[in-house]
Amino acid sequence: MNGIIIAMLLALLIPIYEAYRDSHIWQKMLAFASIATKTSMMILVVSVLRDDWMIGVVGVLILSVGNAALMLLAHVIKRSDEAGVYEP
Amino acid sequence: MTVYLSILLRLIIWFLLTSDLSLVNIIIGVAIALIIPHEAARLPILKDWIRVFWEIIIAVPVAYFEALEIMIFPHKKEAFLRRRVRPNRTPGLIFLDIFLITFTPKTIVLSYQEDGWYKIHSVERDK
Amino acid sequence: MIDGLSYGLMIVGLIFWFWGTLPLVGDRSVLFKLHSLSVSDTLGSMSMIAGLLLKIPREWPLLILALISLAIWNTVLGYVLAYCSYRDEDDD
Repeated sequence: MNGIIIAMLLALLIPIYEAYRDSHIWQKMLAFASIATKTSMMILVVSVLRDDWMIGVVGVLILSVGNAALMLLAHVIKRSDEAGVYEP
Repeated sequence: MTVYLSILLRLIIWFLLTSDLSLVNIIIGVAIALIIPHEAARLPILKDWIRVFWEIIIAVPVAYFEALEIMIFPHKKEAFLRRRVRPNRTPGLIFLDIFLITFTPKTIVLSYQEDGWYKIHSVERDK
Repeated sequence: MIDGLSYGLMIVGLIFWFWGTLPLVGDRSVLFKLHSLSVSDTLGSMSMIAGLLLKIPREWPLLILALISLAIWNTVLGYVLAYCSYRDEDDD
């Protein structure tokens, strides 16, 4: 189980590096979407590892409502892009 | 019909989230499911809904198969396609269609055009 | 037996994760990266949750909810990102 957590952490480093490296806004959004899913999956696995289901409930809640913010942000960026407020 | 479906969906989510079948919990769940506002019903076709749910069950193994295909053979080419929307689709069914197309890894819906076409982006195997 | 199957599913999920996330660093288009991300983040995570489900079947209601909401949200987020970023690149 510990090995799985370590491997997940390594996989999480890839999108973090991408978000740091790339300045194109949509590539950054893609990396953030990937980070969001990976961290909430890690919460679920940690809750199984520690056998503490309270953590697991938090993970499930984040999985089921967490991405809404990213969708709203994508729409806001698109709007401000069309209005010429933001130059990518 | 849509009203019953949406109430059923809300109750399923409620019971999965609380996993508690006591009388008080059932009353709370049913009351909340009835109180939250419903959208106006547009005569949906039950047959279409059943077919779409069946297609979703089929889509899971298909998606895994396509994922293995992409992993084993390199898919480097990108292409844009257009696909016709089946006639007489309600917004709910169109949403499920978009879900089905995007769920499989080889295709992603880019936009739904009002004149009845989906714009699709796909990756293809290079020869 | 069940334990081995659940570890197997989680390792398959991890392989999907690495395969789908590594192209993120390359210089392909946003849409191409979305295809590989849908392999890793949707399908890989789904097989991991299936592995967890075999490990602790007692918590099945929450895990099934996690499985369904993961599939729906990730797919819809993929569609929204594709829709929003495409108009950005060229108007037709």
